[in-house]
Amino acid sequence: MNYRVEHGPSFAWLKVALAEGDEIQAEAGAMVCRDPQVEMTTHLNAGRRAGVFRALLAFLIALVRKFLGGETMFVNRFRSSGPGEVILAPALSGQIIHKRLDGASKLFVQTGSYLASTGEVDTRVRFTGLRSLLGGEGLVLLECAGEGELWINSYGGVLPLEVNGTFTVDTGHIVAFDGSLDFKVKSVGGMKSLFLSGEGLVCEFSGRGVVYIQSRNLQALVGWLSRLLPA
Amino acid sequence: MQIEIQYNPAHSLATVHLDAGEAIRAEASAMVSMTRGIDVQTNAGHSAGGGILGGLRRAVVGGESFFQNLYTARSNGAHVTLAPRLCGSMVVHELDPGVDLLIQGSSYVAAPESVHIDTKFQGFKAFLSGESLFFLKASGRGPVLMNAFGAVEMRELDGESILDTGHLVAFTAGIEYTIGKASQGWIASYLSGEGLVLRLRGRGKLWIQRRNPSEFGRTVGSMLPAREG
Amino acid sequence: MKYDILDSPDFAMLQLVLDAGEVVVAESGAMVAKDSQIQISTSMRGGLLGAAKRKLLGGESLFQNTFTSQSAGQRLFLAAAAEGDLKARQLAAGESFFLQSGAYVAHSGAELVIDTKFGGLKSFFSGVGFFMLRIQGPGTVFYGSYGALHEVDVGPEGYTVDTAHIVAFTEHLDYSVRAFGGFKGLFFSGEGLVCDFSGSGKVWVQTRNAAGLAAFLHPFRAVKSKRS
Repeated sequence: MNYRVEHGPSFAWLKVALAEGDEIQAEAGAMVCRDPQVEMTTHLNAGRRAGVFRALLAFLIALVRKFLGGETMFVNRFRSSGPGEVILAPALSGQIIHKRLDGASKLFVQTGSYLASTGEVDTRVRFTGLRSLLGGEGLVLLECAGEGELWINSYGGVLPLEVNGTFTVDTGHIVAFDGSLDFKVKSVGGMKSLFLSGEGLVCEFSGRGVVYIQSRNLQALVGWLSRLLPA
Repeated sequence: MQIEIQYNPAHSLATVHLDAGEAIRAEASAMVSMTRGIDVQTNAGHSAGGGILGGLRRAVVGGESFFQNLYTARSNGAHVTLAPRLCGSMVVHELDPGVDLLIQGSSYVAAPESVHIDTKFQGFKAFLSGESLFFLKASGRGPVLMNAFGAVEMRELDGESILDTGHLVAFTAGIEYTIGKASQGWIASYLSGEGLVLRLRGRGKLWIQRRNPSEFGRTVGSMLPAREG
Repeated sequence: MKYDILDSPDFAMLQLVLDAGEVVVAESGAMVAKDSQIQISTSMRGGLLGAAKRKLLGGESLFQNTFTSQSAGQRLFLAAAAEGDLKARQLAAGESFFLQSGAYVAHSGAELVIDTKFGGLKSFFSGVGFFMLRIQGPGTVFYGSYGALHEVDVGPEGYTVDTAHIVAFTEHLDYSVRAFGGFKGLFFSGEGLVCDFSGSGKVWVQTRNAAGLAAFLHPFRAVKSKRS
């Protein structure tokens, strides 16, 4: 399998050249085009070693999210019966980052940022932190582990920052971060700020590792537009 | 007439430079700015009555209106600048005589009167996903200004390809197409998020946009406050 | 204070490096990330009365955030909500320029004045929730756009711009707003205004407009359930 992220930073897409027997998994809705010999099947993303309970839970969450809007937990798997190409793209404008997971380290990814993966990359949903009373923002993360390739997308440009000490990031601007970092979700400056600052929740990172921040935030876009909408 | 495009790939702006007497037809909402020496004629629709187009309005992604303004330069050195609604690029295709261009409805921006625009309604409504497809056919001679959601890639097709309909900008007439669902069943197609796909076969030019307006609309729209009806 | 604008023009983000005691005021919701020695405090713009009055005009939040650095080399990242560019304008004492209210991101300089009661420009945006601010130096103002920022030199022959695409313009230009013919869109019938500029100065035009995006997204919104 060969792959190439083309033409970042604003509208990056992932071109994958599959050989016979290769398989790549992608977030629902990510396919742009494919050669006719590439076959697509749809699956629930419950994690590769999901037991019955976990699979059922994932299915219920996925259905709820599908109908209420937001990302789904369904994925498409692409296999080719001969050499064939598939092109994948995220829903939002931005960049695509490729990470190779080696089986030893973990990467936490915002669920909306997951694009595709191969091999034995396992993704588990984790709900973390406060659910904001006002906006339902908490931090929903995919814990990615295992061995294989992983592609994540940003909304806007992406900036990888080395944390060595502490660093605070608005939750809507987090793409992903190393599993080696400690993190705590909180409001940016006390109770008054929670309701009034308009900043929503932030994630305070400590320790050593890389956090990938994106220069745009879907919640902020929604807030900006909501003031202009007709009834 | 000269069309200059700046700020590709994300925030494209097309400056249409017109000499005295030259004119360009563009969607009313596409105008950003213009020099003083431009006459504007409104509601100069390309073809068909408002009745047909009115009914099709909702069929097009984003409910694009189809009323055109005609911008005519009174003197040399005039220009009008145009932009689409969504972030992305614009591209100009100079029509080859005899080779029509099929453009996905919301990708068409502007063209001079020497280009004839026909509305060719595909009208395929996919169960559950609510997607449908609306094509325009451009024929004649002259430049056609199109927009793409995200960056645009032009491919020379010689063979077969399966393309998600939301990523289609345009293709030349030598390419045949059928529209089908992405997965085996309707439920699977709905869950797969892919909706409709186009099976394209033949030889010609194909323009693909790197982002899908319906995907973007669903992602953001579901987070916006609900609307009345 | 040092600043850099990253990812311009597609998704511009402002990176500021502040030293101890330096202060930046920003629109609420603009913060992307910060080092831990930057303190944030929230206040109402112009005091309680001023803020309440402003809410009525729409398109702006009541609050602003003040970021104060408590040590050297503290980084603060700010961004606007829309996909677009970001620019800085340094204004000398007494120098002003006009800025569309939704474009304001942040400013530095305790003496910078943001005047919202500039009634002369009320006719600019009908019902879209934006209005023009008059910004007077000394100080630096950071502003963003939806789309790219296209700078136009206006001369005596004049120039016409759709009002939804106006981000900023210099103080000595003459301007006059009028209705523009043509079907402007399905939902915003109050739109369709253009501004004729003349004289000598610069206009900053954004290549996208918020109402267009709102109109595009409208069909994708959930429909309110009818209750009898």
